[in-house]
Amino acid sequence: MLFTVVPFFASLYLAFTDYNLLNTPEWIGLENFTAMFSDPALLQSLKVTFVYTFVSVPLSLAAALGVAMILNRGIRGLPWYRAVFYLPSLLGASVAVVLLWRYIFGLNGVVNAFLGRFGVERIAWTSDPDYALTTLIILHVWTFGSPMVIFLAGLRQIPVMYYEAAAVDGASKWRRFRSITLPLLSPIIFFNLIQSLIASFQTFTQGFVMNNGGGGPANSTLFYNLYLYQQGFNQFNMGYASAMAWTLLVIIAAFTALTFISAKYWVNYDN
Amino acid sequence: MQNDQPPPLSRTALGRRDLMKATGLGLAATPALAACGRGFGGGDDDDSGDGVTLNMVWWGDATRAELTQAALDIFMEKNEGITIEVEYQDSGPYQDKLATRFAAGDAPDLMAMRMDSLREYADRDALLDLNEYEGDLDLSGLSDSAATLAEVGESVYGVPAGLNAIGFVIRKDLAEQYGAAIPDGDTWSWEDLAAFAQTVSDASGGEVFGTGFDAQTLANIVVYCRQQGEDFFTEAGELGISAATVQSWFELIGGMRQSGAYPPAGFFEEIGGSPDQSYIAQGKLASQIIPTNNFLGYNAACGGNLVLLRIPGETQGARRGQSVDCPHLWSVASASEHPEEAVKLLDFLTNDPEASLATGTTRGVPANSSVAEEIKDSLEPDDQLATEYLMGLQGEDLPRSYTYPPGGSAIADILDVIAVEVEFGRTSPADGAAQFIEEAEGALAA
Repeated sequence: MLFTVVPFFASLYLAFTDYNLLNTPEWIGLENFTAMFSDPALLQSLKVTFVYTFVSVPLSLAAALGVAMILNRGIRGLPWYRAVFYLPSLLGASVAVVLLWRYIFGLNGVVNAFLGRFGVERIAWTSDPDYALTTLIILHVWTFGSPMVIFLAGLRQIPVMYYEAAAVDGASKWRRFRSITLPLLSPIIFFNLIQSLIASFQTFTQGFVMNNGGGGPANSTLFYNLYLYQQGFNQFNMGYASAMAWTLLVIIAAFTALTFISAKYWVNYDN
Repeated sequence: MQNDQPPPLSRTALGRRDLMKATGLGLAATPALAACGRGFGGGDDDDSGDGVTLNMVWWGDATRAELTQAALDIFMEKNEGITIEVEYQDSGPYQDKLATRFAAGDAPDLMAMRMDSLREYADRDALLDLNEYEGDLDLSGLSDSAATLAEVGESVYGVPAGLNAIGFVIRKDLAEQYGAAIPDGDTWSWEDLAAFAQTVSDASGGEVFGTGFDAQTLANIVVYCRQQGEDFFTEAGELGISAATVQSWFELIGGMRQSGAYPPAGFFEEIGGSPDQSYIAQGKLASQIIPTNNFLGYNAACGGNLVLLRIPGETQGARRGQSVDCPHLWSVASASEHPEEAVKLLDFLTNDPEASLATGTTRGVPANSSVAEEIKDSLEPDDQLATEYLMGLQGEDLPRSYTYPPGGSAIADILDVIAVEVEFGRTSPADGAAQFIEEAEGALAA
């Protein structure tokens, strides 16, 4: 507890100081926070983080749900498939996989070779600022395994009799999905959504490894947390970095609160 | 075991409370990030008996560790009572761990210091002014170019752990195959480079590009900037490069890219830093810029086909552009409890030929010229060549280069962003140059 609480409040204090790691922190009030508004790199990092979150979270949840539904049909060897799909989410943020990703999406990598068969010109997936973030979003979507496992558990708790009754009444597959699966699964979707949002806002490794710690090309993968790290440890602006961390906390809290408020309208708790 | 049928349960397993708890946990993890510094593991100054324990940290690999340890063993043998506790790691995480240790009041006695971080520490009184230890540390064997590398005003905050420079390497086999004559390495111009590269690219039908080097690598543009008669960083710690120079640097590369002498946008990917993986070893480039201390590795990776040239434009510019640099400095913490012993070790590493015989050129050519001369014959032929290149440069009258001002490390990031924007045509060389000057000046003022 001590090891969490003390740094927690220390960083709150540092957020209001000019602290370069070497000299004593100097109280500067809100200056760190006001400076953020005129910092183009910070705004860029917010943009990168938002685009990444709002594109990859829905996509990965959709993929997770889709695959979970297929696996839920009672196919043979479920544990094996489940493990196969779950594996990427254990590895996704690891350095080795991001490195591997760099090769798969390299100029002479598998992806370009595949697209080349359809006459698509080679794309610089990792070094073109227009594509680098897309590559990382695909990486994120690929790691849909952990929400999938949770979805799968949820799907298995929906009584079969509902579907049987609906089928007797002549409901289409789509209708059954919309009227039975989605509402009964909504608490699980809600849980997965919150988890993914929070994790995604804190993305670091992907941007760090993809371009050797730089967030390049042209800051197109400069995630908020990566920029925070650069400010704190490369530029010796630990006060500013602390202020950034607390701002991120507020941003995440705001989005979490929004999601909670919206839950009233779409999440069903049947107890 | 569980793929029979779904359990007959009608309740969803997760209630609202559980969700609240789970999300709360996720949230709480955020600010802790800012405080998550990891030290080297520390190691208290346990002076057992009357001996002194020095803590020394640096970055590098296992090979360098072995060579370094060999030198330190000699030192410990000569100086009984001094124990050296070494910690080393990769260059990436090195700097944040070093910073964290200073922040925690646990500074190492002797440390590897990056050139671009020197003044971040020195200006905050974290490093020992070595001029105050003149009697114990003899820097008279260093050339002016080497001795002034870590000089700030009247003080000296570090000694080069070794010397290097950048050099241009050309693959003879590719030049021969495509009928391109290798220009004279001492007097060639940027036009000569463009002509050479064009010949290779054209004759190979785009298989091999004549040349390719990073527009955003600071060491490269610094030499070009000096050739134009400007200091990249001035003595007063300001930005000295003009927008016109930045623009012409972008245009120089852009022109070659357009004509095909230089690879197209997006060609350079992060492929790892080892010579084996380099584009020149893969045969995709016929020439590139390398740090001279890596010449041996690159030449081995290229089958011994490399020739080492100076950077183009050295005789046509307003003045000489090349400078003597160092892979890193050795600095002593001002908070060290054993400054005399730390300085003694530094003096040994710098001036004792036995130390350099043990370490070889893992950190570049020995800073002390007579030591470099003395160990030269024991080196591999490729290392001898690189050593001669550097001795040659030190014997010449090169304009002095000034240290990175505080905030200077941000400039590499700024250049990296803008150079890529220019590379992909998202901004013009002129606009990119203007933007660079504005942002870089802003970073230094902050």
